[in-house]
Amino acid sequence: MNQLLTKTQRAWLVAVCWLVASACLFAQSGPVVTGKVTDDAGQALPGVTVVEKGTNSGTTTDNSGAFSLRVRSGRATLVFSFVGYLSKEITVENQSSLTVSLSPDTKQLGEVVVVGYGTQEKKDLTGAIASVGSKDIQKLPVSGVDQALQGQVAGLQISQSNGAPGANTNILIRGIGSISGGNEPLFVIDGYPVTNSGIGNPLNTINPNDIESIDVLKDASSTAIYGSRGSNGVIMITTKRGKAGKTRIEVDAYTGFQQVARKLDLLDTPDFVQFIKDGRNNGYIDNNPNGKITDPNNLRPNSYQIPSIIQGDISQLPNTDWQDAIFRTAPIQNYQISASGGNENIRYSISGGYFNQKGIVISSGLERYSFRMNLDGKISNRINVGVTMLPSFTKQDDVAAIGHSGGAVVQAALSLPPYFPVYNPDGSYFVTYRPTEGDISYPNPVQLANELKIDGTQLRFFGNAYAEVSILDGLTFRTTIGTDLNYAKNRRFQPNTIDPINILTNATGTNTEATNWLNENTFSYKKRFGDHSVDAVAGFTAQKAYSNVLQAQATRFPDNLIESVNGGTINAGYENVTIQTLLSYLARVNYSFKDKYLVTATVRRDGSSRFGSDNRWGTFPSASVGWRVSEENFMKGVSVVSDLKLRASYGLTGNNAIGDYRAIGLLQDANYIISNTLTPGLGRSTFTNSLLGWESMKQLDLGLDFSMLNNRIYVTADYYDKRNTDMLFTIQTPAATGLTSAVVNLGEVQNRGFEFALTSRNTVKEFKWTTSANITFNQNKVLAMSADAERIFSTALGRTAYAVTQAGDPIGSFFGRRVIGVFQTDEEATAYGKQPFAKAGDFKWEDINNDGRIDDNDRTVIGSPHPKFFFGFNNNFSYKGFTLDILTNGIVGQKIYNATFSINNSGVQNQLQEVFDNRWVSPSQPGNGRYGRAIRGGRNNNPLFSDAYLFDGSFLRIRNVTLAYNLPSSLINRLGVGSARVYATGTNLFTFTGYNGYDPEVSASNDDLRAAGLDFGTYPQARTITFGINLGF
Amino acid sequence: MKIRYIPLVLLTIFTTACEDSFLEQVPVTERSEVNFYKTAADFNNAVVGVYATLKHPGLYGTGSGALFAMSEIISDNTDLGVTRTAISSPLFEIDDYLITITNSTVNTAWTGHYQGIARTNAILDRLPQVDIPQASKDRIEGEARFMRAMFYFNLVRLFGDVQLVTSEIGSPYGANTLTRSPAAQVNELIVNDLKVAEEKLPTSIANAEAGRASRWAAKTLLGKVYLTLKQYDNAAAKLKEVIDSKAHDLMPSYAAVFSPTTSFAANREVIFAVQYVSGLIGQPTYSGQAGQGSDMWSNWAPFNAGSALLGTGGGGGGGFNRPTADLVKAYEAGDLRKDASLLTSYKNAQGRDVNDAYVVKFRQQGALNADSDVDFPILRYADVLLMYAEALNEQGKTTEALPFLNQIRKRAGLADKTGLSQADMRLALEQERRVELAFENHRWFDLVRTDRYLPVLTSKGLKVQAFHRFFPIPQREIDLNRTLTQNQGY
Repeated sequence: MNQLLTKTQRAWLVAVCWLVASACLFAQSGPVVTGKVTDDAGQALPGVTVVEKGTNSGTTTDNSGAFSLRVRSGRATLVFSFVGYLSKEITVENQSSLTVSLSPDTKQLGEVVVVGYGTQEKKDLTGAIASVGSKDIQKLPVSGVDQALQGQVAGLQISQSNGAPGANTNILIRGIGSISGGNEPLFVIDGYPVTNSGIGNPLNTINPNDIESIDVLKDASSTAIYGSRGSNGVIMITTKRGKAGKTRIEVDAYTGFQQVARKLDLLDTPDFVQFIKDGRNNGYIDNNPNGKITDPNNLRPNSYQIPSIIQGDISQLPNTDWQDAIFRTAPIQNYQISASGGNENIRYSISGGYFNQKGIVISSGLERYSFRMNLDGKISNRINVGVTMLPSFTKQDDVAAIGHSGGAVVQAALSLPPYFPVYNPDGSYFVTYRPTEGDISYPNPVQLANELKIDGTQLRFFGNAYAEVSILDGLTFRTTIGTDLNYAKNRRFQPNTIDPINILTNATGTNTEATNWLNENTFSYKKRFGDHSVDAVAGFTAQKAYSNVLQAQATRFPDNLIESVNGGTINAGYENVTIQTLLSYLARVNYSFKDKYLVTATVRRDGSSRFGSDNRWGTFPSASVGWRVSEENFMKGVSVVSDLKLRASYGLTGNNAIGDYRAIGLLQDANYIISNTLTPGLGRSTFTNSLLGWESMKQLDLGLDFSMLNNRIYVTADYYDKRNTDMLFTIQTPAATGLTSAVVNLGEVQNRGFEFALTSRNTVKEFKWTTSANITFNQNKVLAMSADAERIFSTALGRTAYAVTQAGDPIGSFFGRRVIGVFQTDEEATAYGKQPFAKAGDFKWEDINNDGRIDDNDRTVIGSPHPKFFFGFNNNFSYKGFTLDILTNGIVGQKIYNATFSINNSGVQNQLQEVFDNRWVSPSQPGNGRYGRAIRGGRNNNPLFSDAYLFDGSFLRIRNVTLAYNLPSSLINRLGVGSARVYATGTNLFTFTGYNGYDPEVSASNDDLRAAGLDFGTYPQARTITFGINLGF
Repeated sequence: MKIRYIPLVLLTIFTTACEDSFLEQVPVTERSEVNFYKTAADFNNAVVGVYATLKHPGLYGTGSGALFAMSEIISDNTDLGVTRTAISSPLFEIDDYLITITNSTVNTAWTGHYQGIARTNAILDRLPQVDIPQASKDRIEGEARFMRAMFYFNLVRLFGDVQLVTSEIGSPYGANTLTRSPAAQVNELIVNDLKVAEEKLPTSIANAEAGRASRWAAKTLLGKVYLTLKQYDNAAAKLKEVIDSKAHDLMPSYAAVFSPTTSFAANREVIFAVQYVSGLIGQPTYSGQAGQGSDMWSNWAPFNAGSALLGTGGGGGGGFNRPTADLVKAYEAGDLRKDASLLTSYKNAQGRDVNDAYVVKFRQQGALNADSDVDFPILRYADVLLMYAEALNEQGKTTEALPFLNQIRKRAGLADKTGLSQADMRLALEQERRVELAFENHRWFDLVRTDRYLPVLTSKGLKVQAFHRFFPIPQREIDLNRTLTQNQGY
């Protein structure tokens, strides 16, 4: 072993030398061949790999397409290859100069796809895998690649429910498969499955510009290689690596601005005053039948008093637009310099980037410094080594935007009376907290945003090194050692100025350390025997994740000068450490016969510390078959079909996102008084469940890949049926056990759907037009739950039991009463007879159980927050140096509950003009029949959860438009650069929707998919315009 | 070494060295069962955890626990001075004999007792296997058995036949088909546990151990169990052991028994009590219980009495466990215990008298809301004397029993009873127990034990029926275990 280590160490020493002096050359003999590579149209092709056949000697073309390579002898065969073009072999005989033109590879099936523990040619795939290249990722000016993927992949649903810079997105591959466990897919960065450490969106720490490609593994055949982590799908992220050839330096920069995509049309002072008077008068009369609307405030309870400020002349009152006060035009900028190159023995690709995005809500933003260093070296004919390093530093300035009432900027802005000013005449903040005369206590949102400090930083170092040893012909051993180190800190400081009455100055500090290491060892074997071709991989891996969260809280600050826990009395805190380990054995065999009949079999065996001791190891097998029909003789004559492949796969994967230590019985404090002194005692608080294990997922996938008209049209279609069973579930247990609940594996959820993706190169001449479109239909349904918890109700942001998870319905279905109209007269309400307190203008609810009265038993499923289908429709046009990309995406059929409009209908908070104009006022002014009367504290309790404020959230969005111009070579040569591209983008340009909130892509409860589709004071989305330039040297 | 062997070497290291230890991860910053129940200190912590169950809201914890409702409010001793709200409605159901099968007070009593039982079982299962000093082992076993017996004795009196769990249930599904065992079988376990406990528990409790169970606690409880089982000879013998030991005695002053200023050593009357200490709110404590103080004073003070009665920070007054007019008049003229037990009016902030009866037995002037130091006696010597008198009387030894009754009356400043028949003696004991032990969770159990609950309570116009002898089995339990039967009448 010593020998081995020193050998490896020596190898690395050499590798580092190469890095420092990348110009280091190796002496060679023979003549030099120079030349130029162009495309069909004669345009220079930079970056083309040129290799002398039968040797390891090679180079790549520079920006003018030129190359220079020393060959062994006068007669040599050069191989020219370039992604997206057909390779070409040219034999030179004592030629010193040649010009080569490469033709575009129109056969999309020739692409290489990154699969777990290897790569595969697309034509050989039997699983459902979708790929996205760097070009499609970099179109959007976003902080994380997840936002860029929106609408680009069938079956991949990405929702940006929170517009704050750096906010999490919800990423679902083929629907929600887990009720209580995690639903995020597994992210694999350059072969390293990263654990979501929970510090925020892990994808924000990676510069999207550093990514070469994304491959989305969807079916069981392709994800089973990740075993107990595969059931939510896998997203493979491959970063850019160097190619041999002249050094290429690229500079990318863009800058631009963002504005709130949509402002809500709220009431101005005159309408608002009318609204308040209506709401309070209606409430007063409703609760005091002898009251009159002329009664002065001293006769009315506090809630129904008319604020004295609006009793006189209102024409002199301010007319504040609180939305304008909290929103701003926010800059966004991004800069990156990268260099790549190398020779046949060492290749490198390095980059450094800076990203800065201010939020459209004041006092929010994200900053990131990111670096990448990828090295690949050849130590000998048998050994290759390499490393990926992605250090980054992210800084987030948060604002308390989300939430309701008390401390949230957006909801406060949507609620505060327009007759309150933002500032007093002396420039100090106007105190909006006025709980007299029936007003309620919203903080001044501008003050809240500026004075409540919520900051976070994250330092991430991701590194993964490999060594590859060729053992025999076709047999390779690869070992990797990698680590993902995350250090994050979060700080929160709340001065007592925001709410001087209720809240003392307080601060929280949290430090998180999340480290992860991984060792993977795989043997791969690739060989062709006549008609038989085998590609196999087998290996073993070990991974360990450690997380430590240390938090301290302080209060009782004497002043607001020290914005840290140190300024007050530390009164609470904790340290929470978790360790997770995973051991795995894996194997996969791809076999093909005559390139026509394809079979793949995969198995992974995972042992995890998360699983109970009697259920520690799980085995996850899958199998798939493919039939390339187009290769059959009977298809040879059908020239319209270029390629046709049928696929089928079935397999078992798991979801280990069940939390750490859940199988181990915990003890809780059960202290008591002995000798008048607090004495420590302990008692069991959770069951030891030695059988607790992963959630299982069985998935069937039937697919079709089809291309026609000489590959001008390429279609992929898949049908899938996913059954998730043994889900993590909290059940009630008989008290005789000593405990009343337990975490077990139980239940079944089904996701069934259809995906369809199409790429059509409509025109291919000088004017090129390519359309790619995808659409996904997914149906989610809970099939079985436990007998004792037939329904799980969801609560978010103070909305209790508004969504239900129960057998027969989609996860988190909206649950409430059904409004069948608005009573037009008191007589009509009395005649209905089921709502004793209802009056004209109140909601009429359906008697679901027909028992003659309306109560909580008349609640039912009133809608689903999940779409019926979603799609992306993207077009690319290019003419000469110009390209125009238009990305659109849409989601159809999901419902949204707008809690803001619901609670804002009582004559306290501001309201949408639309609701004001269409509310019931009197029988002669009945409104549109949807919105009831404005009433505060009405006895009919109109704000009870019902479908009155449930809206269709369907939308079609112009997600991105990019217009770019590649400067002609005549010009760039004069400028002294290799290539230059200027562009302008508009992101989130327009959304076609009937939804009247900020944005239909909303979920105030973030990652809780059982409580999706709730709009309640969320951070709205921005519209972004940027201008950028890419320079190559 | 040839490079091609590297993989082979790695594979060998990998597969042989790491597997098991690598995958066995135990919580680092949370206490788990993995490393527990190893040392005497662990078992001591577990026993303290058993005692802590006394502060479960199903026993004597938050909201004064469930037991006062199921023994005082249900009887003719107390009712409710609070308005009917979501919190008070289960108590009203009990007061009105309209107890629903989902009554949360009944449910929490069931849950709390079984939690305590599970904690004792966890100890008793593991104790034989561990290597700790025999003396420690004996004491731990004695305490665990005493507590288990007490939990089951409450259950069997409240619910009749109950599920009999005598070892720890490890599986969440372990009680899914566990049926109710006949009460006789449960009583057998109770008697056995107490017989072991009385042997293993110490004869005296040092100050440093104040609050733990003694041998006399076990014997007193065993005497009470025998009395309830109508085994009067056994009861008398057992209670006589307690009396003869002279380990306990009556306090000269009745009020001193409940005074927070009476030290543990000085309080010779209390045999076993729930321990309360104020000022620990915010400390890690029993889950669900805010601190380690008692809320019997503020919670049982008149509804909305406010600071005029309870002092600043003393709370508003809960209005629970309000003495009935019937109880107020049950005190004989001159009974010193009356003013030490209840008052019938207080002065409000305006200085006006408000007539509303309330419990003062557990009063601590100046205590903050729900946080007083007054311990709550479960077993005390006056009870021993009265039970002994009852056991003798039931054996026909009425004359022999009389001095023990008069010992109690004497301290109360009342004249001796003389020349009582056996039947008169029964009534005299019933009356004496009622006033002597008022608000100490005895009344309902006394009336049921003597089969007097129907005549006594119906004569006062209460709507009690025979089936109320037992509370309903919580519907939650029947939902989870369809083999459980409901008590008759519910």
